[in-house]
Amino acid sequence: MVGWHGRRKVLTILAFIAPTLIGVTVFSLYPLFLNIFISLTNRGRFYPHPDCSKTLWKVIEPNCWLGEPPMGLADPFSLRDPIYANYTSLLGGLFTKEALLALFFIFVALSPILIAWRLNRHYARQLTPPISSGLIWLAGVIGVLSLGWLINLPDQYQLLLDSGDFIMVNARTILYVLVCMPLFFTLGLVMALILNNQFLRARTFFRVILIVPWAASTVAIMMTLIWQFFFRQQGTINQILSVFLTDYKGPAFLNRSIWAWVAVVLVNLWYTYPFFMVTLLGGLQSIPVELYEAAEVDGASWWQQLTNITLPLLRPVAMPIIVLSSLTTYKVDAIVWALTRGGPTAGAGKPGATEFVMIHAYKQIFQTQAFGRMGAFAVILFVGLFAATLYSLRITRITEGVYE
Amino acid sequence: MMKRHMLSIVAVLTVLSLMFTACSGETPTEEPVLEEPVSEEVEVTISIWHQWSGDYLTTIEQAFADYEAEHPGVTIDLSKPEDTANALSVAIPAGEGPDIIGWANDQIGAQALAGNIVALDGYGIDMAFLNSTYEPAAVRGVVWRDQIWALPESQEGIAIVYNRDMVSDEYLPTDPLDFDDLLAKAEAFYNDTGNYLVCNQGLGNADAYHVAPIYFGHGVPEYVDDEGNVYLDTPEALAAGEWMVKFSAYAPEETDHDICKAMITDGNAGAWWTGPWAIADLEAAGIDYGIIPMGKPFVGIKTLMLSRNAVSRGNEEVALDIMKYFASAEVQTRLAVANKTIPAPTGAVQDSEVQALPTLSGFGSSLNLGVPMANTPYANAQWEPVGEATTAIWNGAQEPEEALIAAQEAIESSIEEMQ
Repeated sequence: MVGWHGRRKVLTILAFIAPTLIGVTVFSLYPLFLNIFISLTNRGRFYPHPDCSKTLWKVIEPNCWLGEPPMGLADPFSLRDPIYANYTSLLGGLFTKEALLALFFIFVALSPILIAWRLNRHYARQLTPPISSGLIWLAGVIGVLSLGWLINLPDQYQLLLDSGDFIMVNARTILYVLVCMPLFFTLGLVMALILNNQFLRARTFFRVILIVPWAASTVAIMMTLIWQFFFRQQGTINQILSVFLTDYKGPAFLNRSIWAWVAVVLVNLWYTYPFFMVTLLGGLQSIPVELYEAAEVDGASWWQQLTNITLPLLRPVAMPIIVLSSLTTYKVDAIVWALTRGGPTAGAGKPGATEFVMIHAYKQIFQTQAFGRMGAFAVILFVGLFAATLYSLRITRITEGVYE
Repeated sequence: MMKRHMLSIVAVLTVLSLMFTACSGETPTEEPVLEEPVSEEVEVTISIWHQWSGDYLTTIEQAFADYEAEHPGVTIDLSKPEDTANALSVAIPAGEGPDIIGWANDQIGAQALAGNIVALDGYGIDMAFLNSTYEPAAVRGVVWRDQIWALPESQEGIAIVYNRDMVSDEYLPTDPLDFDDLLAKAEAFYNDTGNYLVCNQGLGNADAYHVAPIYFGHGVPEYVDDEGNVYLDTPEALAAGEWMVKFSAYAPEETDHDICKAMITDGNAGAWWTGPWAIADLEAAGIDYGIIPMGKPFVGIKTLMLSRNAVSRGNEEVALDIMKYFASAEVQTRLAVANKTIPAPTGAVQDSEVQALPTLSGFGSSLNLGVPMANTPYANAQWEPVGEATTAIWNGAQEPEEALIAAQEAIESSIEEMQ
């Protein structure tokens, strides 16, 4: 290698990475900074356009570059006073004594299950654990229930929700993820176990049939509208029930908070279990048959084989899909929007029962046109999701192979 | 080592090729704009974004086709964007917006604030012309801050449209402001026939427009007035809320336009609380309908607005000519006869054929009771909170008082943002 040093080296490297750098700047960094900037202003339906006579806006605002500079009757938008006002109005409620205390109590109430998890991990390394893991889990669940009853968990949760729309929407979305994940995993695993059974006839046929919902997610909105028809007052479920029950007048499921929640979980379960099923099936098939044969010789029951061989060996496959799916479930939008539009409503100015993070953002931006406030919302979400993604990279080690 | 270099080169090349394909993907969309012929006098395309739909639209398309036939070189392009407000806020600054916007008058304030539409005073439209051509309510609807922002084409408001074969006179309220009577008759109808008397798509579905007759009929002057005062924490609004709770026992829990339409065409409901736009569909279904006024509806003015893009493209004269043509007495008479609309031009209202229409007298008496829809930007802040509060009352999620106070606060806080 001749002349591969100094300025020439730098220039060559730059020339090679310039396209990527430009791409990242134009498509990622610039929108990010523009968004952060808008989050410091009162941009919205009453102050829709920038003041193009200011140098700053001339540089940063696309509306000032091309086409016609805006010229409505409205005043241009300006920086908030104080500049972080959008952030405090979103998060302010969380930093009151009541909200922080509620958050603390919720954490305390959930701590037995964390302790149980830790204990089990500790005992798993020992040859003969003093207590069986099932008992520890049971104790953990009982601990959560009794502590939850003692400090009145639902009330604390409600207190937390009442501290602001941002917190309410986020808490509900996280709850949704927590409810969905075990269901996705269980149904996916059950289906994978069934498909993996060598005695099953017409396996290929069932495989194709069970993957259909995944294929249907390309037309998610349309499929969801069909689901919506199931839950209507005059819909399929009520019509079937009315055949069996005389004088039955079914509820409009999507107008009742709890039922709307159930519907949103069910429909998402239907869309997502094939993903879990396919991935876990791949994992199952990579487990050596000898292990099961040896277990059989030792007299292990089916359940013991499942908990001691299958599940531990599925872990490397299961962790990444659970993490990835948690992130996508947190960002769920089209399905819920098509099904409930975030409703049923809890009244004016309050997020609806299924108004998850993305639905809330969509409604605020496109219906209320609160661009400044929602800019701040997006920035906070970005920080949270970025941290979650980094953490998920660590625990799933997805990118490790690339670096090694 | 070599392998790794190769990999990074491949990676860079991939990114490059992606970027180039992205660029090449964009160019063709830009080119036609640049190559567009400048000879506008000969050939001009006027695009109109509108809200017309259903059987309604067919007649309207015919009216524009007639204009095209009379004016060779002029092409009129009708389209109905999904989300007009947001589509406009992106398209107009980029110069890709329509020339004419067909929209209800309550949008005037917000669109004028955003600078998407231009005042017509500068283009030969003055108050003398408006007053001599259009009905007084229609004229009030298009003037904001002493400027004229649109030409009115028709007026609309809702009334109870009932199926004569299903609902006999004994089940119809006689006094449009007697809501107790309506409640009693809905109860009687439900008990006697097992069907709902009337389907209102604002009850069971967030829609502040369709519940307006109930609130205003109970004495609420307006949701928000021109000064920004909100009237939802009043005893009148509360009375309306409490009436809805009682009424919910005799009405479908879940509604929207399509559900109500299906209910009346399938015979599950005797009447539909709706406007002139539904008549074409009801006639298509072969329903023998009658119209009675109930409550005080919002009176909306359907208008044509001139977009800022029309001016920058130099299309404003042709666009304005089309607007005048469409909002003229001749065209609106034709549309009124075919679509059963209530025209805004005085000449069309007084036309003998229009006068003979049963819809004109039916909806007309409802409009006479009605409350004109405000065109201030405040009007924009009323829809969602009122709709949500009403739905919360209807579903039992909130007590009427709690729901209405929440709506009051929600509207007040968004008005506060503006001041």
